[in-house]
Amino acid sequence: MFKRILTSVFALTLTILVTAQTKTAVTTKEAKIVDEINLSAADIELFKEQTKQKVEEFQQYIITLANKDEPTEKRNMAEREALKLFYKGAQMEISTIMPDGTTQKVNRPMEKYLARLKSLPFTKVVIKFYDICYVKEFTKGPDGKYYSTATIIQEFTGFNDDNIVYKDVTKKEVEIIVDLVEDKFFNEKRWKLFLGDIKATETKTVTNP
Amino acid sequence: MTTGRVKRYSLMIICFALSLLSAIYGQTITGNVQKSKENIYLARIKQFNEFIDRFNYKTDFNGNPIDSAFSRKMTREKYINSLFDLKDNRIAAGGKDPQGSYADLKSRFVKQVISGDIKINKYAPGILAEAKSRVIFNGKPQTITIFLNQEVVGRGSVKWVITDVKGDILNFLKTDTTHIRFIPPGSNETDFINLKRALEDVDYLQYYASSDYKFDQLSIFLYLINSGLLKFEYVEEVRYHILDIPGWCIRVKDFNRDELNSGWLIYDLSLNNLSRKEYIQTLN
Repeated sequence: MFKRILTSVFALTLTILVTAQTKTAVTTKEAKIVDEINLSAADIELFKEQTKQKVEEFQQYIITLANKDEPTEKRNMAEREALKLFYKGAQMEISTIMPDGTTQKVNRPMEKYLARLKSLPFTKVVIKFYDICYVKEFTKGPDGKYYSTATIIQEFTGFNDDNIVYKDVTKKEVEIIVDLVEDKFFNEKRWKLFLGDIKATETKTVTNP
Repeated sequence: MTTGRVKRYSLMIICFALSLLSAIYGQTITGNVQKSKENIYLARIKQFNEFIDRFNYKTDFNGNPIDSAFSRKMTREKYINSLFDLKDNRIAAGGKDPQGSYADLKSRFVKQVISGDIKINKYAPGILAEAKSRVIFNGKPQTITIFLNQEVVGRGSVKWVITDVKGDILNFLKTDTTHIRFIPPGSNETDFINLKRALEDVDYLQYYASSDYKFDQLSIFLYLINSGLLKFEYVEEVRYHILDIPGWCIRVKDFNRDELNSGWLIYDLSLNNLSRKEYIQTLN
């Protein structure tokens, strides 16, 4: 609870700070956004921090929605909240190493990926994230948005009764997008951070079902 | 970051530095070095961007700027050595390179980088990404290679662009040195009746084009995608060719293995004086 309050306070402070530091972003209403509006170095540092928080938030939602011991309503809420973190149209690409050494990839919209994660055929699912989050520096794209990539490591364990029937470790590359969006309440544009496409690479399968 | 976390990370750095040092000098990392799974992933070069930052001696294992405490334990030379695939037979202890030519080349390269304080420009046009991709052509899965590089546009904006494409399915023209193929000089007077005959010679059409015509697989690729004859599925593997350091070519790929020396590592190094375009022509 305390952590959630702290996160909200930080997010609010960040919004105020970023808004204050990017006056051009607030006042420029013409379409020359791409060349004229830039995040300052301080803004970029703040967004790097916010990336870690958003990624952590996403990880918490994943843990909750996959946990079959949690009440259904809580899991559904985690699924809905997780989706809100993403840019529209975000996809999950899962890469699996086949027994012959080749790699097979499957692409799913984020909504479908999360829905599947919620209904996996295990009696119990435990997802753990390592305390690692590498965030690439933000680079401006020709569309005026800022892009980065965060890497996280996930350990997945699937149980049937008390037996581990599947365990793997996957490395996830999460695209990060910082976009200038209209804040209808304040009637101005603000920079907002979203998660984008995710590339998941299986690094190690411990037990096969 | 809490003080406890800082301490934990510092401890990890020392632990990794020691582990990597042993690896750099060709010794097996033995079980007496207690390594957790997390340590492996922290040491792993997780992104290509991280590879460049480590090469440029910009960030430590945690992605933080390199400070004096880190540089005392890990010099740039050792750090660059750790960016090589240490299982490469040509440099591994007991490897199969009796002449030691690759090891010498590597050593020469590292010395040059250190003495010249050479850094790789992250957005250099000389960074070439090679994306081996799965496509569906005539209902069958095929592999093609798409080459991409970065372009800086506007005020500091960056994007990746397709430089070239290669693949057997795109290379449909054949070479023939036994026959002379041409449209005869008097053809204009017959309203180029010969043109039909020439254009039915489908495997050798290039011989009827002007002498400065260059067959271009990228245009073929774009047409096939546009017409729906070729369907792009996904990228199977990405490798990088760094031509940004004059005289050299560094090749980097992802080593997905459960070891400290893993992730984006140098799998080959060679001398190079070719331009990016010429270099791509040499690749299969």
